[in-house]
Amino acid sequence: MTSLTVSSVITSGRVELVNVRQRLLLIAKVRLLWVLCLFALVALTAVFRIALLGLFEPSRASRSLSDVLLPARGEIVDRNGVPLARAFPAYALWYNPQALGDSGSPLVKPPAEVAAALVAIFPDMDEAELTRQLATGRRGYLRRRILPEDANKVHALGEPALEFPRENERYYPQGSMAASVLGFVSADGEGRVGMEQVFDEQLTDPATKGAPAVLSIDTRVQGALEDELHEGMMLSNAKGAAGIVLDVDTGEVLAMASLPSFNPNQIQRSDVPNIFNRVTNQVYELGSTFKPLTVAAAIDAGSITDLSRRFSGAPLRVGRFTIRDSHPIGDTINVPEILIHSSNVGTALIADELGPERLKATMERLGFNRRPEIELPARGFPLWQSGKWARITNMTVSYGHGIAVTPLHLASAYAAMVNGGIWRPATLKKVDPAHVPDGHRVFKAATSARMRQLLRMIVDLGTGKKANAVGYRVGGKTGSAEKPGAGGYRRTSLVSTFAAAFPMDRPRFVIIAMLDEPQGTVATSYQRTAAWNAAPVVGRLVPRIGPLLGVMPDATRDVDLTDLAPLVPGKAEE
Amino acid sequence: MNLTRDRVRSIGWVAVLTICGALTMGLTLRVNAVKSQVRLAERQIVSLQRQKTMLETEFETRANQQQLKVLNDVEFGYQAPTAAQYLEGERQLAVFAKPRGPNAPAPIRVASAVEASPPPLSTLLSSVAAKAREIQSSDEPHKPATVAGVAERESTNDGDIDPLSKLERLEDDRE
Repeated sequence: MTSLTVSSVITSGRVELVNVRQRLLLIAKVRLLWVLCLFALVALTAVFRIALLGLFEPSRASRSLSDVLLPARGEIVDRNGVPLARAFPAYALWYNPQALGDSGSPLVKPPAEVAAALVAIFPDMDEAELTRQLATGRRGYLRRRILPEDANKVHALGEPALEFPRENERYYPQGSMAASVLGFVSADGEGRVGMEQVFDEQLTDPATKGAPAVLSIDTRVQGALEDELHEGMMLSNAKGAAGIVLDVDTGEVLAMASLPSFNPNQIQRSDVPNIFNRVTNQVYELGSTFKPLTVAAAIDAGSITDLSRRFSGAPLRVGRFTIRDSHPIGDTINVPEILIHSSNVGTALIADELGPERLKATMERLGFNRRPEIELPARGFPLWQSGKWARITNMTVSYGHGIAVTPLHLASAYAAMVNGGIWRPATLKKVDPAHVPDGHRVFKAATSARMRQLLRMIVDLGTGKKANAVGYRVGGKTGSAEKPGAGGYRRTSLVSTFAAAFPMDRPRFVIIAMLDEPQGTVATSYQRTAAWNAAPVVGRLVPRIGPLLGVMPDATRDVDLTDLAPLVPGKAEE
Repeated sequence: MNLTRDRVRSIGWVAVLTICGALTMGLTLRVNAVKSQVRLAERQIVSLQRQKTMLETEFETRANQQQLKVLNDVEFGYQAPTAAQYLEGERQLAVFAKPRGPNAPAPIRVASAVEASPPPLSTLLSSVAAKAREIQSSDEPHKPATVAGVAERESTNDGDIDPLSKLERLEDDRE
């Protein structure tokens, strides 16, 4: 009984042992499986990571580099790639009173001493005001932009509270040059006034700001134009000046100047009124420079077929007005003489024969009834008589009175008159020679050829003699218009303009030089008219810019004037 | 120690795991090292680019049109050249040529690359001139070239001609 009991106990114990062993084995196998899974997971992760590193890492790095190198705002360059405006990490001078901790004085030395040291570096700063600002312990800009060498000097003062953070500023390396074309960037980072405003989206969009915006301006030509205009302005003591150089075949503006100018680098301090652009925004009665346009319209319409026909030179009475010339020219006068001596009466008679409808239609085709075509946001609306023109309106418009347009209007019209008769919109963007705008025809090619001869004669023999740069075959027309004032025209306030093109045997460029209220000075032989102040500007400018623009001077070449020479006494004698 | 088959296998697994771990670690370190090198290079590129922009801008500012004008007014006083100072081409340039005077220094000889197909006029000119000089120096090394001397050479030797007259002949041929 007992043995039986024992044996049963032993048997049951063995069975249990076997069960335990089997269970342990199972656990071990499951654990082994777990470990294997873990290994596999680690191996997989490693492979995955290697693949990730190998495939994706470099591209991310290069993208970040290009992001860093992208300028804060895109560059604006001239037609040859010279930078005119660029984002520039400049130093600012910032006062941070917390730099030395909250307790105690923010400055190591007394405020007055620090202010004196700062004024020694920046002589235009006000010492008393600076001392007050440093003493109050209020943080803020002490100066918006300082030079790197000045930053080093400030650092040498040993004041931790004077910080010079690098800030992205808009910088114009050429200073005030072409300021009216470029405009400026306001404190909130938006482009204002000029091409900064036009290109604003392109210059700030990350996708496009990497590539610079290219202007049609040529820096060298712009520099020469501003220099000569400034000199003309100083010599004649004029209030202001405007000028433009336009490519007659593409409508590209190579230079555009409005003086006095402003410095976009110091926009907070600059003269705000000078931001006004006289070339595109201000309308003027441009006077006699309209006479060639009238004559061209008459030749084109066939109302003048014979240039030798003589018109009366006597004062012309129309209603209650009398049209007269500034100086007596003769009893009768032919078409070349009308232009050479700038006769108001002769031009009015030509316009009278042409009729107001046809002159008005020509002026409309030249764009004188709408704002000038250019990208700039500020464009002046001409003083233009809509509706049917009266006889007297027709006559006064023919010599540039009773109509006021911008100098840019005149430049585009002259380009159309000399380039074979095609009017094209002016542009400040560089034009690809393969995609020149078609434009529209205003004058016949034959009319244009005739006008080239007549304009050349004006410079050769007439009022434009001082613009005759030897070898460059300059042609053009002077215009001196009295400015309208209270109760009529003011005899002593003139706008003198010279509209020119060169070289006349194959015109490439139109130049307009305009002086606002020039005075009679020693340098201008006490004359106020364009022949004495605006024409010499063109005469000095052409030899400077001609070779740069690929026009070589040649004294042996000129426009063929054989058929017109007998009509003009001075020319016939040669 | 009793090494069973299972134990050997597990030690093997541990070894493989260790090696794998070590390799992964090594690779990671290597990758990180390269990455930091790249980052350093990038930082250098950015910094150099900024310095370049800075110098370029400074140069543009110091050499802007207004500064150049002031510099010209004060220092040089250069003026735009007149029409008479321009030359149309080689023919106009050749007008200014003169025979060498007595005791004149030997002309400077410049080597020129010979172009393969149709040589331009200037190349012809220089080769003709060089040939003429060569003949001159080999014939009479110490005798100075004078008008009379050239005329004499022309009369005695039909093959060797004054370079300018040959140039004119060449141009006539072209026309």
